[in-house]
Amino acid sequence: MTQGFDLDAMVAELEPVKPLRLSQAISSVLAIAIAAAALVVLVKGARTDVVAFDPNPMFLLRAGLLLLLGGGCGWAALSMASPSVGKQGQSWKMAIAAAALLPLAALIVALTGRAEVATANAYFGLQCMAFSGLSGLATAVPMVLWLRRGAPTSPERAGWLTGVAAGGLGAFAYGLHCPFNDVVYIGLWYSLAVGLCAVLGRLVVPRLIRW
Amino acid sequence: MIANEEGLRRLMRLSLTGDKQAYAVLLEQTAKWLARYFRQKIAADAVDDLVQDTLISLHRKRASYDPTRPFLPWLAAIARYRWIDRLRQTYRHEAQMLEDYDKAEDSHEEVVGARISIDRLLDMIPTAQADVIRYVKIEGHSIDEACAHTGQSESLVKVNIHRGLKKLSALVESE
Repeated sequence: MTQGFDLDAMVAELEPVKPLRLSQAISSVLAIAIAAAALVVLVKGARTDVVAFDPNPMFLLRAGLLLLLGGGCGWAALSMASPSVGKQGQSWKMAIAAAALLPLAALIVALTGRAEVATANAYFGLQCMAFSGLSGLATAVPMVLWLRRGAPTSPERAGWLTGVAAGGLGAFAYGLHCPFNDVVYIGLWYSLAVGLCAVLGRLVVPRLIRW
Repeated sequence: MIANEEGLRRLMRLSLTGDKQAYAVLLEQTAKWLARYFRQKIAADAVDDLVQDTLISLHRKRASYDPTRPFLPWLAAIARYRWIDRLRQTYRHEAQMLEDYDKAEDSHEEVVGARISIDRLLDMIPTAQADVIRYVKIEGHSIDEACAHTGQSESLVKVNIHRGLKKLSALVESE
């Protein structure tokens, strides 16, 4: 007999509850991501081409893929709070596949010997990782709190997805400042930032959301 | 009487609004449903505990139920999660074989729907892993007996159980 089990007590303590609404979680994650982006712009300054409303195509591509990655994986992670057999979505795989084009393109370009921008600016690359990670950490907080309220049935996957989503959104926020348009630089340092967040998410989040 | 999806869904919706009468009926019916769901999927003496664990989870996590969606797939996801959790905890049961119950009740698959059953979940992992999980974790045999039964080495049995449980936990919501 499970300790402390009392059917009548469960009935007696029943209170009305509001079912979890995914839109609430999305709103809070978006709000934090926007705040993180605003803080980056405030502290580090925005890219000159963005300020001039004349964005570089590589910036647009990078921002779009990171938003797709953060949004797709974030959506999948937050959805895991309300489990249901047969519900498991796979759209996050498409988001990861699309974002993987950046490191793939970087690898191809680097193999042709054009990697000097990425290697000569390692200091800025590390800065990119640090700021992306911090911004990502901020967006991970509402995601973890949401998952704790819900019933994720695969804490490990929820951890991965939370980490990737946080990394993607954090890198997007820092990308508003980052002046580099070199594909190898982006493929290397941004992928490292997202990868690091993913590993941290896998290691830390399951412990926080297990039920 | 076994309540159906529509009946349980209606009771759950009322329970979310704080209707205690509906909740009492829901818990009673859900307990019956779960007892059938878990039967032959864990040692017979562990079924009651597992049903209670799942009911406690239902109670604590009831806000995670989306009233616009069917009830039983939600309950099955929670039940599978608790079942895997219990298999991880239970290493060796006394050689308590599964109780022989009335096969007429074996319309269980029809009742719960094959797509959300535990058998369906076990079918999704490699046979070698499912076999040792069934033999050791569900039927309660020892590792040595599993080695003799399956022809796998001791370390392979342990690895297959470990990997199988890991895969099962990643597949909880699959159908």
